[in-house]
Amino acid sequence: MVFLISFDIDGTLEFGDPPGGITVEMVRRAKELGFLIGSCSDRFPSAQRAMWEAHNIEFDFVAAKHMLPDVRERFPADKYLHIGDRELDQQLAEQAGFEFLWDHEGVSEPWLDWLRTDGQ
Amino acid sequence: MPIPNTPFSWHRNKENLGIWHGRGKVAATGVGTSPTARRWDEKPETSMGALTLAAIRKAIDDAGIRPSDIDGIVLTPESTTGVTNDPNTPPPEGWDKVFKMVDYPQAGITRGDIDWVLLNMPELSNVQFKMYGTGCMSVAFTTTAEAIARGHTHTCLVVRGWHNLAGRYYVGQGAAALDTASGPFKYGAWGTPACSTAAFPFEEYCRKYGKTHDMMAAFVVEQRRNGLMNPDGFYSQHRPEMITVEDYLAGRWIAKPANIYDNDLPVQAALAVVMTTAERAKDHKPKPAYVLTHAQTRPETQGVTPSLESWERLSDKMGRMLYEGSGLQPEDLDFENMYDGFTLFHQFHLEGLRFASRGEKRGYALDLYQTDISIEGPNPVSPSGGNSGNGRTRWWNHRDSILQIQGRSPSQIKKPANNGVSGAHMPHFCDSLIWSSSPD
Repeated sequence: MVFLISFDIDGTLEFGDPPGGITVEMVRRAKELGFLIGSCSDRFPSAQRAMWEAHNIEFDFVAAKHMLPDVRERFPADKYLHIGDRELDQQLAEQAGFEFLWDHEGVSEPWLDWLRTDGQ
Repeated sequence: MPIPNTPFSWHRNKENLGIWHGRGKVAATGVGTSPTARRWDEKPETSMGALTLAAIRKAIDDAGIRPSDIDGIVLTPESTTGVTNDPNTPPPEGWDKVFKMVDYPQAGITRGDIDWVLLNMPELSNVQFKMYGTGCMSVAFTTTAEAIARGHTHTCLVVRGWHNLAGRYYVGQGAAALDTASGPFKYGAWGTPACSTAAFPFEEYCRKYGKTHDMMAAFVVEQRRNGLMNPDGFYSQHRPEMITVEDYLAGRWIAKPANIYDNDLPVQAALAVVMTTAERAKDHKPKPAYVLTHAQTRPETQGVTPSLESWERLSDKMGRMLYEGSGLQPEDLDFENMYDGFTLFHQFHLEGLRFASRGEKRGYALDLYQTDISIEGPNPVSPSGGNSGNGRTRWWNHRDSILQIQGRSPSQIKKPANNGVSGAHMPHFCDSLIWSSSPD
């Protein structure tokens, strides 16, 4: 099974502005467990790349927030998740066929359960 | 007695007024810029008021004068166009341990207040002239120029602070704050984002002159490049990220054809400038940046949104008034620092001034953007980087015009900066000044 997680940055990730509850360690853990990870944010794509590199995280994609459908097209996966802090995140995620979690809901790393329930 | 606003008669808002009576008699010298922040963290020492006091102290120090030399202050009281507090909201805990209080509880927090400044800066012991230049720091600049030229003050502070509270900037404001479209907001375009007011005329412009939104990329990239040279700007201090053409073209539409990067980022910051007479300026530390004239346009009511026709007509009028009042011609301008927040209306200002025109009157600016508009080139467009390159203040352009003329801008143009222009904000609602290295 292939799982993809898209993170919003500002208000969602700990290095966002304002900082969110999703830590670098959570992202790194997801990557190490085989999730496809990346960001879909209103920050410039080039700036998103620089952020991941600054935190030494190997990412699979960066995209402007409204380009979630493009991410889905580029990366075939069994489940798609976007995590964000704005209604706009929710709206764009649902339009693109992603599941959606609010930033505070992501703090418990519920995607790890997918490995048990869906990842057999 | 309440502190007055600028008398209406001080504004140069008509043609055929001739050369400005204060031409070359007024100059800017000291410049003080506060640190920037994305949002207020609710600590007194990082408040808009604290930033304002810091900027004033830096400006006085930069001018090389004593606080007691200051005899006037002109301040723009509005410190945001976005979310603000109810005027009666009490200050946060601990505020009164840091600042003395005036009757207005939001002074220093969501409103600039001259009495609050003077109460908390007792070293400004000789201030006699006080006036509010409302709405925009551009008005504070033109008011101060006029006040000095008329002899009301000889050494005057020009001040504006910006606050940005936690949360969203515009969401829930205006008509969108109400259940139904009522009150004065019913005359606006209900539910549209602010940048739609720039998007509509820009779309008309593109259709009329055969241009495209993609042609804006070169300007936006140059704005960020110039802004990142400014150590006082928000982006250079907090997000030193260079935008690429590809980044810009990938931007999310907010009100098509305005994308997210055509919008400026709200920040906290404050600017103070010392302005004085030409005679006194000689004794100040920085080289004087003389004011040759100032001018004002205001909207002609035609509908709920501005039109291309009104933007072209009024920015043309601004150009004519500035050249008439200063005695300059378009080819005398070495740079232009007109407003850019939203980026899509910068070219209306530029064309109204006929900046870098080769005989064209309209429809040439987006082609100009495809040429060398850098600080190194022959036609430096917005060398300050503006709001787009520095964060939302509406004063980076004025600040940089002064510094360019003084030869000490962090994004100093390579050719001699003898004459320049700055103004804000919209093409039909603007206050502008022409700055010069020479009073003559």
